[in-house]
Amino acid sequence: MRPHFSTSIRRGFIVISFSINFGYQRLVLLRPAIYFWLSLQYPMTVATTRAFKNALVFFPLITITLFCAAQVRPLYSFQQDDSILKKVYFDQSARKKSMLLASLDKKNAADYKKIYEGQFKEIGNLWQSDRSVTSPAAHGYLQSIVQKITSVNPELAKTDARVVFSRDWWPNAYSMGDGTIAINAGLFVFLRNEAELAFVVSHELAHYYLDHTNRAIKQYVEKVNSPEFQNELKRISKSEYRINTQLEELARSFTFSSRRHSRENEAAADRLAFHFMKKTGYDCNAIKTCLELLDRVDDSLLYQPADIRQVFNFPHYPFKNKWIQKESSIFSQVSNTDASTVSERDSLKTHPDCAKRISLLHDSLANVTVAGKGFLVNEEVFNQLKKDFFVEMTEQCYRDKNLGRNLYYSLLLLQSGENTPMAVYSIARCFNEIYDRQKNHQLGSCIDTEGKGYPEPYNLLLRMLNQLRLGELSSISFHFCQKYETDMRDYAGFREEMKKTQNPNN
Amino acid sequence: MKKHVFAAGLILFVASWCTGQKLSIENVQKLSLRSSDAIREGSEVKGYFFFYISDKIDKRTNEYTLQITDNNLNKIKDIKFQDSKNVTVLESSFNGTDLIFLLYNDDARTFDYQVYGADGKKKYAYNRQLTKKEEKYLEATYLQNVDEENTYKGLYPIEGKGFISNMPSREDKDYTFQIDFFSTEKKKQWTFVPTLGGKKFVGDYLGCHNGVVFIEVLKFGSMTDGNPESTILGLNLETGKQVFEKSTDVGKYKFYPASMSVINNGKAVLFGEYFNPNGNIAKDKSLGLAFWGIDEKGTITGEKYSAWGMELGKFVNTNAKGKIEDFGFMYLHNMIQTSDGSIFAIGEGFKKVTSALGIASRIASGGRSGFSTVKVKVTDMILIRFDKDFNVKEAKIYDKNPNTQELPGGYEFASTPLLGKMLKYTFGQFDYAYSQTNKDFSSFTVCYSDYVRGKDYKGGTFNSISFNEGQITTDRINTKSDATFSTVMPAKQGQVLILDYYKKAKRIDVHFEKLN
Repeated sequence: MRPHFSTSIRRGFIVISFSINFGYQRLVLLRPAIYFWLSLQYPMTVATTRAFKNALVFFPLITITLFCAAQVRPLYSFQQDDSILKKVYFDQSARKKSMLLASLDKKNAADYKKIYEGQFKEIGNLWQSDRSVTSPAAHGYLQSIVQKITSVNPELAKTDARVVFSRDWWPNAYSMGDGTIAINAGLFVFLRNEAELAFVVSHELAHYYLDHTNRAIKQYVEKVNSPEFQNELKRISKSEYRINTQLEELARSFTFSSRRHSRENEAAADRLAFHFMKKTGYDCNAIKTCLELLDRVDDSLLYQPADIRQVFNFPHYPFKNKWIQKESSIFSQVSNTDASTVSERDSLKTHPDCAKRISLLHDSLANVTVAGKGFLVNEEVFNQLKKDFFVEMTEQCYRDKNLGRNLYYSLLLLQSGENTPMAVYSIARCFNEIYDRQKNHQLGSCIDTEGKGYPEPYNLLLRMLNQLRLGELSSISFHFCQKYETDMRDYAGFREEMKKTQNPNN
Repeated sequence: MKKHVFAAGLILFVASWCTGQKLSIENVQKLSLRSSDAIREGSEVKGYFFFYISDKIDKRTNEYTLQITDNNLNKIKDIKFQDSKNVTVLESSFNGTDLIFLLYNDDARTFDYQVYGADGKKKYAYNRQLTKKEEKYLEATYLQNVDEENTYKGLYPIEGKGFISNMPSREDKDYTFQIDFFSTEKKKQWTFVPTLGGKKFVGDYLGCHNGVVFIEVLKFGSMTDGNPESTILGLNLETGKQVFEKSTDVGKYKFYPASMSVINNGKAVLFGEYFNPNGNIAKDKSLGLAFWGIDEKGTITGEKYSAWGMELGKFVNTNAKGKIEDFGFMYLHNMIQTSDGSIFAIGEGFKKVTSALGIASRIASGGRSGFSTVKVKVTDMILIRFDKDFNVKEAKIYDKNPNTQELPGGYEFASTPLLGKMLKYTFGQFDYAYSQTNKDFSSFTVCYSDYVRGKDYKGGTFNSISFNEGQITTDRINTKSDATFSTVMPAKQGQVLILDYYKKAKRIDVHFEKLN
């Protein structure tokens, strides 16, 4: 794993960079109009003002599109991003990059440059891709919460932080060090109130305020260029024997040290986030509930899992148990504790355990006398956005060709009973894509294999996808479309997918 | 398809990661394809191992790491140990409870069989000291087959009991083979080396059934004998003592078993080609395929003969002399019985053709050339479907590009069963890789490699013939990539694991692909 510098809300966070495919079909706009209306209800930042102007321009177009589309029912209305705002944010990040590079310590300039170039590549990717959400209402809503925090904390009055939602599925939020802060849809959908969201934002703002990312980079560069480290490297490279063992020891001691600093930074960010939050009027107990949520979020399910035995059981093509038959493992007795001791594993964590983080804040939380609120901006928008972001991240998985996860979320959506046409269309489209990929032997990069860290229903689906033969895929796809043919006949996108299942070889 | 032979080497890597269905291993200094393989229980892939040098300890010692992953490439365990720098891993096997690795130290001339429990802890080590003669013979046979498909396998699992090892061996002046049993229940070993009644012995492990180890033995009267005697040996699994010896080339026909399968509710069946009892198998063509039922006492419980010109001829283009047009003779790799009772025989064709090299060498050397005037051409794959009583129901030849093998001088008159065994065990020239069934035997996949020279694609391919829901389908994966070389390993049934080695980048990428 290459080194990556960011500070995030989750423990053990690994940034995964995706190449984004922009070619997704834009569907009929409906929800932006609602957001447009909602956005009028809340105070605006510079960013939301710009979003507001854009919404004004687009509103007539939205209405026209709705009118024209009356003959074909829309499957779903995705949020429409403000591309001008993205450009503004990108330019701000680029300027910040130039400033940072100009101010670098000349002594190790090449090392700094290399790290920052990599860092800004990630940031640029976020701003230039479909991952970041800048749709007026969603972004405006988030800015309202940011403003709730910045307006009562003088330290943050002049902050240039650019806080956005991203459509990424993995539950995390992170600060990139240049002011770019992202809250992933995969985390947001699990939050239960604005207060929890406010804590997440406060935590990342605290990282930015305390300049943790840039300090970590500085610490890393200075450490690897220090005379002691360089002399040790030189000595090891001249050794004839046990080179790897010595390098491993050196790397381990370095990792322990940097992870310790990282955990200290997390605790500091939590403390400052508490300081930011307590003035906002939000319920500070949300810090505790949010940290508890983070601890188990990998195993949490937003909706009851869809029973694939039932969804893919058709009158003329019944579900076959062999599709999900588990192969016995020979290594079930192998313990994972042999590679490192418990204390070593603890020392390698980037974040302290959430329980530990809660205990560190225990006294502070106990001293809060004023009962805060769970919602200060708008509960209705919060809940609507949670539902929308679930669909948005499902769609993002498809754009990123993360087909296993796209199908999994689509099945959850189907099970939820919300946005059923979109769920049915998404499942049909995903099956067709899987069929094409399997036919061309390109499925390996689009479907995960079962893993211990995944929820059991996801593992079950992965097992099935990895065991289905081409003919079986084609049959399931066909019968699934046939099952929904009547209900979905007015949806052009679905009809297109159904046509493909009837002629799989075309 | 021409197979590339890679020098035995060692791999060194320090970084690896796994995303999706892909595992990347970096800083790979040198790769030997024998250093990684699937860990199988029967036809089911349970995991993979990657063997590499993790450090140099001193002038003579290396630290080795055996990295074991599960069948989804999730890292399970690193087993580290120090040993001589001359150690390589040759094979692995899994018997349902324990893993065995065969390590070879070419400096000390030792085979080291290391047994690990499913908890990853070392249980036992068995050691075999090779004589110089043995080492030389092994280098010309077993150790020569360091190829990407690892066609030669000498370690076989006995479920829950241990492992059988079958290795070429030297005993005084005799060229023979050695059967070893390594127990995994307790430290116990037995060895069997046949030396009586011949000058040279070639042994083929057929299977273990009802506590008896079945070995097919070809006995040669001399080193140039082209008509070896064929017998089936039964050895007691507990003691290694001989239980029976049954000739297969006396009686109604001369029968040369190629393999054994347990089918029809637990009955052992030997299968292979059969010949005219009075004929000369060095010259005559086989008459067809024979199936013998055999019990643990060596009693033949049933015989069935399927002649080329009769039953098989209805389905494929064969002539009465036993030669399927353009296909040649058949080497039977495996037999699979599906849940509906059908039995599928998986074979591959080969035939003798004139060797221009052999003839030219013979002329140039005044008849003392080391090359034979004939060479063997490996042809197509064949799948024959029988009912449970071995009546042919269907047969189909699957085309592939031929590859040839020059033969040593004197092999012009070698019998086809012998040539088949040589192609498999000495030269490793068959393209057949492996076959797999699913748990309930309702589907299976036969995999083989090929080399295509087409307009759109020129390079190696990995092919499959799959039986699923009563339908047979074929598929082809092009294995040519930007990698220095690629190889395909077994995975879960219906999938393969493709390993790409990038020499310049010192990197191995492994990823799964599904077969259609």
